[in-house]
Amino acid sequence: MNRLLEWLDDRTGYRNLLNETLYEPIPGGARWRYVWGSTLVFTFVIQMITGICLWAAYSPSVQTAWESVFYIQHEMYLGSVVRGMHHYAAQVMIVLLALHLMQVIIDGAYRAPREINFWLGLILMQIILGLSLTGYLLPWDQKGYYATQVTTKIVGSAPVVGQELQNLVQGGSEYGHHTLTRFFAMHAGLLPALLIFFLVVHIYVFRRHGITVKNPNRGPSSDFWPDQVLRDSVACLGVLAVVMGLAIFKGAALSGPADPSEAYSAARPEWYFMFLFRFLRFEMVEHFGQAFGAIYVPGAVMLLIALMPIIALVRGGHRFNVIFAWSLMGVIVGLTVLSLIEDVRDVEHQAALAEADRDALRAVELASGPNRIPIEGAGKLLREDPFTQGPRIFAKHCAACHRYDGHNGRGRMVMTADDDTGIERPTLPTAADLGNFGDRQWWRRILTDYRNLMQPLENAGYDVESSIEYGMISWFEESVEVLTAEANQADVDAMVEYLVAQSGRPGLELNAELMERGEEILSTGSLTEGEISTCDDCHSEIGGEFELGTDNVGIPELNGYASYTWLKAFIDNPGTEQFYGENNCMPAFADKLSSSDMDLLVRWMIGDYAATEVKPYNSKVELLQIEIDDSSGNEVANADEQPAADSE
Amino acid sequence: MSDSQTSGSSEAPRRNFFVRAFTAALGAFLGLVPAMFGLLFFFDPLLRKRKKGSAGAAAGEKKDAEGFTRLDVKLDTLPSDGTPMAFKVRDDKYDAWNLYKDVEVGTVWVRRTADDDVVAFSTICPHLGCAVDFRAGRQDFFCPCHTSAFDLEGERMNDIPPRGMDRLATKVNDQTGIWVKYQTFLAGRKEQIATDE
Repeated sequence: MNRLLEWLDDRTGYRNLLNETLYEPIPGGARWRYVWGSTLVFTFVIQMITGICLWAAYSPSVQTAWESVFYIQHEMYLGSVVRGMHHYAAQVMIVLLALHLMQVIIDGAYRAPREINFWLGLILMQIILGLSLTGYLLPWDQKGYYATQVTTKIVGSAPVVGQELQNLVQGGSEYGHHTLTRFFAMHAGLLPALLIFFLVVHIYVFRRHGITVKNPNRGPSSDFWPDQVLRDSVACLGVLAVVMGLAIFKGAALSGPADPSEAYSAARPEWYFMFLFRFLRFEMVEHFGQAFGAIYVPGAVMLLIALMPIIALVRGGHRFNVIFAWSLMGVIVGLTVLSLIEDVRDVEHQAALAEADRDALRAVELASGPNRIPIEGAGKLLREDPFTQGPRIFAKHCAACHRYDGHNGRGRMVMTADDDTGIERPTLPTAADLGNFGDRQWWRRILTDYRNLMQPLENAGYDVESSIEYGMISWFEESVEVLTAEANQADVDAMVEYLVAQSGRPGLELNAELMERGEEILSTGSLTEGEISTCDDCHSEIGGEFELGTDNVGIPELNGYASYTWLKAFIDNPGTEQFYGENNCMPAFADKLSSSDMDLLVRWMIGDYAATEVKPYNSKVELLQIEIDDSSGNEVANADEQPAADSE
Repeated sequence: MSDSQTSGSSEAPRRNFFVRAFTAALGAFLGLVPAMFGLLFFFDPLLRKRKKGSAGAAAGEKKDAEGFTRLDVKLDTLPSDGTPMAFKVRDDKYDAWNLYKDVEVGTVWVRRTADDDVVAFSTICPHLGCAVDFRAGRQDFFCPCHTSAFDLEGERMNDIPPRGMDRLATKVNDQTGIWVKYQTFLAGRKEQIATDE
């Protein structure tokens, strides 16, 4: 063994190199405060390893980037851990970078003869920030897509060559395949190569000048190996524990697939760029032009940091540098915290985040389904999913009058600003709340709570007693006592079962025995206790032909009530004789909705979509309502209690 | 560990050895953790239990219950002299995150036999996977890559391929035509082993 090593040393001189590396003297002994550089190298090693592994599974194109990351995250062996490591090590690296820089400035390690190495360090910092920026886009999810749009637009605002630079970075005037291939080449090729080069030079120059020691007489000198290596290793172990903990227990997020046609109002940069994001939100900053806040100010700060070794030549210069560094850190932390607090309090932003989470979960759910991802990409999954698109279409076209479980379909209150005060208040609905449309709950309310279900019509100014709803209201007033009697509840369940069966919805499980009893009651009108007029006294008989008599103009057909065909025909034009006839007050939507939007809306409302475990929107609404109640007193209490209605 | 210990003391060598060994072990551990995770991830093709193409969606349209796919040909359109003809096999195909619906997944040689039955061979050479061609002049199957040759029954005519051509199960239905159970097999083996087993 010894002879072999002798031979190897003779041919390579490795012992000399090893000695050089390991037996670097440290005047004053090993110390914990020297560990930051090593931890940075260590995180970079983690990034190289996990990065190359991810590279083996990543596919940079518009139709495959999100898809391959989804596959890594949810299907591949240990994929979520490896991606989590890469994701969190990148963030830890930023923290360590800040610590390393502060350490160097505080200790004055940038002073002669170490100026060059300080500048090399600053170059490394820019490279790492570049890696963070380019890496954020690669999953091609909504979050990364919209955040990076901001970054490249900032590049575009650079003086003189801004637009050219932006096109160069993103591979054209628009985002596309080449944005990904170029970002990927920068992220996995150019920037790491530059990083390695500058890192080697940085370490070489560092070794040339040795460690910066304030007080060499603090203790006896020791060597790098093993005393300092031990401390460095323990610190690296801490870093590893943090990275692994976050990777395993928190995991890297993947929002919905990027979709330029789908606005993403929850867009934020990564947390370490939040200060810059918040800085650009100051209107004052914007007054000086976009390039001022996004390029000149950060550029000037970087320049000032770069000039530190020269500033230190002046008396009191070092003190100035240290104060400047601390102040800068204070401003960054302050702006970051401010921005985070503002976001937590921003109801709209929280709703947008909740919706983004919903889309993310749904995209994964659909992509994991039996049909996997179509070759057009995962964006198509969400674009053609009623569960995702229905609420958006509802919010856009229906929520002016209707509500859905009290909200606008997307978990937000419908608000109107007061003309005089400008204070926003919830708008009163003027049509029924369709949150339960056509299900058992809906029918139960029609039979036992019709008055309240239709109450919103009064908000629109209709006198319910004498207007369109008169017939149904008077039936309700006559029947309500019988239908709410304790002894008749089983009968009401039976009626509901028979009526809900009309929808023929997918996945509807019916109780045949109940249905039979329901049909009996509805044809005879006699319940366990008391009697009611039956539906077909006014409506066409269920199961029979639709009859247009002089009396039943504007009395909705019950055959197939709330089925796909029924509902689509209703929304197309509720003013036909089969629905409300001349009594109709709702606009016809046949020309207002595209056929695909109509299809998505109807399928969403009747529950015809791939099963989901994603929570419905309304869980968030309760929170929003509480906040609104707090801010505008009790006046809105009424609006909240009435879960809205429609011209049903 | 205190800094005040000097290398002059008599305990120093033992302490130094301990510190060195511990540091070296710790350093190795630090490198090993990311390397192990990376390596295991890279070995995904060997380690992951693959979800079989979920039957509901894929099998329904293109394959019957026994896994046969219909070819676009009927028995009476095949040449009665037994000349083989090539047909594309269409099926749904999984590739990582994608599901391709109704795409060409392979080609088969089909020939009519004397007793009005059919035989089907995979065009994939059992030697190293090139495409086996039919030579009308010599009435044999021939692989242009490494000159594997087979007779019309698919038997080897030289020792280059390890086995005869891969014969595929067939069904003849008067109405719907010819059905074939399309499979691929490991190359270079004497025995016929399906790749997805």
